[in-house]
Amino acid sequence: MNFLSALLFICLTILVYAAMIRVYKRFPSPILVPIATSTLVMISILLFSHYSYDDYMRGGSWLSTLLGPAVVALAYPLYQHRKTLRSFFVSILTSVLAGTTAGLISGIYLAWWCGLDEKIILSLAPKSVTSPVAMSISSLNGGIPALAAVYVMVAGISGAVFGPILLKKLNITNSIAIGIGLGTASHGIGTSKASEYGELESAISSIAMTLSAIFTSLLCPFFLHFLF
Amino acid sequence: MKTLTIICQTMILYGLYMTGEFVQSMLQLSIPGSIIGMLLLFTLLHFKWFQPKWIETGSHFLIKHMPLLFIPATVGAMDYLSLFQKHPASIGVVLISTFIVMILSSVISQKLNNKKTHESLSDGKQEMSI
Repeated sequence: MNFLSALLFICLTILVYAAMIRVYKRFPSPILVPIATSTLVMISILLFSHYSYDDYMRGGSWLSTLLGPAVVALAYPLYQHRKTLRSFFVSILTSVLAGTTAGLISGIYLAWWCGLDEKIILSLAPKSVTSPVAMSISSLNGGIPALAAVYVMVAGISGAVFGPILLKKLNITNSIAIGIGLGTASHGIGTSKASEYGELESAISSIAMTLSAIFTSLLCPFFLHFLF
Repeated sequence: MKTLTIICQTMILYGLYMTGEFVQSMLQLSIPGSIIGMLLLFTLLHFKWFQPKWIETGSHFLIKHMPLLFIPATVGAMDYLSLFQKHPASIGVVLISTFIVMILSSVISQKLNNKKTHESLSDGKQEMSI
């Protein structure tokens, strides 16, 4: 029975995702990116059918397991674009470091300025990095890992939805700059959005996401230290 | 045949991921196992210890469908809907800060790259043009 419901949830997720891709192809508006619409549809289905998130994860965790090898697979486009990587190494490093620092300072201080709870500030600080890293950073600094994962998703989805609009408004046309923006701000979800632009964009985005994870784990305790 | 290739190659990638996780827990690193696995695969490809064709099809497949793999994690927000009602400001903070990161990093990157592409073109180095 457990196995059957797990299988059902996997199939349902794939079906919803496939349907949302069709919707997105028919109406290619940034608000309809499949990750955002699929999430909304899945949450609605679960709430209406009175299934809990834990019930869903009996199947969902099988899909999450594949995220690990998917991140490893990003080495392949990285390898294909190694020449570009080498010639733009300093520019990539500089822009990701600037973005990461600005993200930490703006996130922590805006939250403090809004009078948010200390626990919430500690949980939202590492929002721009991929969820497994954000969860371990927040727990090391005294935040709530599950809550950190939620803010990571907000940063990811908002970047995938509004990122392309922002990039267009700012007249960002350089492939590397597009990849840097999406990867630094919105980690893996931004990287999957970047893959819609092209292979170079997604490779650069995965580099940006990796660098941002490393920088954030080093800098986050430093900036929090000033406040608490 | 293609399905079989994808399954086998995904298992190879999964093995690299598990190796990364193992290294992470052995050395107590703050970098996650998946990223260690990625760096490991890149190193293997770079030194030609690993043929690109061994993971090519599987990699394309996994990267193409990465949004699907994120859905179970994003659905987790359903347990925090009440928190969003209680602290809506926290969502606003995350949105604004995310946009700041995206704007700053992409603008700096484009400025630096334009300069660099320009320089390399005037130097006559064709391979750097993008």
